[in-house]
Amino acid sequence: MKAPFSSYLNGIAPGLKELITLLRGRYDYVSVLSTDSDGFSVTISQRSRNVSHETIATERGTVVRVYKNGLYAESAFTGFDPAKAKETFESITRELDAQLRLLNANGVKAYETGILPDEARTVFAEKETGRLPKEENISTLVDKLSAVSDQGMKDGADKGLKVIDFHVRASSTHVCKMFLTEHQDLRQSYVFSEGMAAALVAGEDRTEMAYTSLSGLGGPELFDHMEDKIPEVLRIAKDLISAERVVPGEYDVITAPEVTGLIAHEAFGHGVEMDMFVKGRALGADYIGKRVGSDLVTMHEGALCAEDVTSYAFDDEGTPAGDVTEIDRGILRGGICDALSALRLGVKPTGNGKRENFSHKVYTRMTNTMFDSGTSTLEEMIASIEKGYLLEGMQSGMEDPKHWGIQCILDRGYEIKNGKLTGKVVSPLVMTGYVPDLLGSVSMVSTDRESFGAGACGKGHKEWVKVADGGPYLKAKVRLG
Amino acid sequence: MADMNNAALDTLLNVLKTSGADAWEVTDEEEKGWEFYFIRHSLDQHRVKDVRSFSVSVYKKFDDCLGRAEASIPSDASEEEMRRIVNGLCSDASYVRNPFYTLNTPSAAETETKAEKIDLESISGDFIKALASVPETETEDLNSYEIFVSEIRRRFLNSNGIDVTSVYPSSMVEAVVNARKDGHEIELYRMLKSGTCDREQLTADLTEALTYGRDRLVTVPTPALEKMDVVFATDPSVELYRFFASKLFTSVVYRGMSDWKIGDMVAPENMTMRAVRSLSNSSRNFAYDEEGAPIRDLTLIDHGKAVSYMGSRQFAQYLGMDSSFIASNIVVDGGTESAADLRTGDFLEVVEFSDFQVDLITGDIAGEIRLAYLHQGGKVTPVSGGSVSGSFPELSKTMRFSKESRQYNTMLIPSVTRLQGVTVTGIEND
Repeated sequence: MKAPFSSYLNGIAPGLKELITLLRGRYDYVSVLSTDSDGFSVTISQRSRNVSHETIATERGTVVRVYKNGLYAESAFTGFDPAKAKETFESITRELDAQLRLLNANGVKAYETGILPDEARTVFAEKETGRLPKEENISTLVDKLSAVSDQGMKDGADKGLKVIDFHVRASSTHVCKMFLTEHQDLRQSYVFSEGMAAALVAGEDRTEMAYTSLSGLGGPELFDHMEDKIPEVLRIAKDLISAERVVPGEYDVITAPEVTGLIAHEAFGHGVEMDMFVKGRALGADYIGKRVGSDLVTMHEGALCAEDVTSYAFDDEGTPAGDVTEIDRGILRGGICDALSALRLGVKPTGNGKRENFSHKVYTRMTNTMFDSGTSTLEEMIASIEKGYLLEGMQSGMEDPKHWGIQCILDRGYEIKNGKLTGKVVSPLVMTGYVPDLLGSVSMVSTDRESFGAGACGKGHKEWVKVADGGPYLKAKVRLG
Repeated sequence: MADMNNAALDTLLNVLKTSGADAWEVTDEEEKGWEFYFIRHSLDQHRVKDVRSFSVSVYKKFDDCLGRAEASIPSDASEEEMRRIVNGLCSDASYVRNPFYTLNTPSAAETETKAEKIDLESISGDFIKALASVPETETEDLNSYEIFVSEIRRRFLNSNGIDVTSVYPSSMVEAVVNARKDGHEIELYRMLKSGTCDREQLTADLTEALTYGRDRLVTVPTPALEKMDVVFATDPSVELYRFFASKLFTSVVYRGMSDWKIGDMVAPENMTMRAVRSLSNSSRNFAYDEEGAPIRDLTLIDHGKAVSYMGSRQFAQYLGMDSSFIASNIVVDGGTESAADLRTGDFLEVVEFSDFQVDLITGDIAGEIRLAYLHQGGKVTPVSGGSVSGSFPELSKTMRFSKESRQYNTMLIPSVTRLQGVTVTGIEND
């Protein structure tokens, strides 16, 4: 079925168009983004249960962007009354004028920027979904997730694990966004869903949380087979409980697709967000056309690259979704860019202007960040390593676009000796390195690839948005601690 | 714009009272914000924010269970839409049954707390002036910064008769510092939260960052130190002390993610940790928590011994507590040594990590070193690269901390903390 566009947004559209007309009397450019996104999140464990109709992306509100004299300003608000566009206009201009007076009194100069184009365009996109979050039978879902939690406890005990609790979470969001200008009318509707299964297990002297996730573009049908995740979670739990500390040093490793995705995200995800180029914060700006990885490294970024949690039709500035080849056989080709940064850099926007929600500013943000597949099998890759680790499970990552340092905190390393997995597990792992060295060391790439969209990404330590990343297995050389 | 009158709230309350819900809670939150974004010292853009929403929880009672479901309801929702959402919550709550607990009841404390006049224009002006006058040099300066100033008005009501309102300021500066030398440039990141603008503190924090930026450029690779005493004296220290506080949250204990019991020695024997209602210029100074419970001063750890849990009322009752609240400010003290005494002998003082984390469940610590000062044999060497790791529950047994304090928004903690025998992975020998 098609995910139907919001009747609320359709209802306020005439009033917003009237507001745009009023604002155009004072400003040279005006755009409006209005959102109306609903969803649910169900969390079940043996000890507590929760149903919420809030997710990371549920929201309703409006943000107006205006331009005058080389400067952009925005007003974000809730409670728009389409019958009172003039009152809203007066309130917006009163507040923005007060800010301008303060800025002028303090001698603040504008970072001069050109005006955004406003070519006539209409989009109405309703993407396919199996079911809608608002129509989901919560009772049935609660029963299903409860059964998964119960089964996880039982299977864990059967495997000799002391499972303290088995958590299951299912979350689904129906996103509706409307972008309007004097000449543009863009409306989109899509559903994304994400889930998680996790076991809290006790060992002799430590407690560990083992988890796995799932995500995708589509509705709650994603959770129809959540029970399939139980064996994987319990396998990870058993591995974590028996894990040893790694001997720090540099190793040949194989990164599992979720770890590959984390590297993609931290290395040349953040590293080529071009609002950082405007600020002179990214080393990547000086490396366009230069080698940053081995011939086996090709990487794409864009809402069109994969069908996952952030595969929209247009971004929060009305730019169509894109597919950017960031690295082509080891050569850095380009970055991703929001509309204002594109104006400032004299390039085209790539469809990566995103807001945490309507009340936040736009930044250049990632969507789907993926390494391309290669020609090796995982078995061939393992057989090629004399001493090293197969790395699985990501916890977090942090980049330094100015210095190209990368830090990834990983869950598990499976020891490889003489081309074979030994069964020994190390955990946790801090993987650090210099990005071009890491990507330059990529010597084998597997044929398959996966994307992962259950996490969220911050800019600095704020502005949390949904992203997906992934790729194939990579063989590389990294430092582990 | 955000509806400032109470008509929408009155409608929602009426919907709740006639919904068949056995109990309910509503949080009506309004935020008015001014924001300014700078590249160098030029204005990238300015923004205003005026948003309001209702967070609603609906409860259904059963023999020995309580069902609960929650949602955010737009402030401009029609009565029909409100009724549809609330009816849906009543239905959901009947499926999501938890062991029975009771909601908070009205206390004798004041019903409204309001900070002195919160003037967004004045506070914003203070920040703009303060950031324009940070003592930059030709080689160390501000790359970019963002100023966020908000007035938050939060009203909490529940079916037991609680109706309390808190009005408070909340501010944040995000700043990126650059330093350059011989054609090479680095950056450091700061996110500084507070109630309003403390110009002196803001200048001190950013001046410190400029100094670290300069030193970051003259580092040598961190040597392979294996085990080393590590000193924390910047914001990663917060994560160490937050670990102690988080292990005492009622939800964490009940869910089995903490096995800390009241009466256990959980911290160094000279350490005392308290939740406090108010902390100078904190961005979270309010009288009531998110569940309508009055926030009070409460000792959590007394000379190393856990003496009280804190947190959500639901899980507090499951743990047998009569009352509880969600603390917003924490104070740690009890140090007997001076900061100078803690900086003697050989040690590695790490002042900048890429990211420093303490795992709530395992207590594992990990972080890549961006700037540290290696004190060895009477010599001080700025170093970079490699990482620190270890088990904090083990390391905390011999942890030492200063009698001097430093405040990081909602946390007032020892200014210097020293951990013995931390694993330090270097990169010198590659």
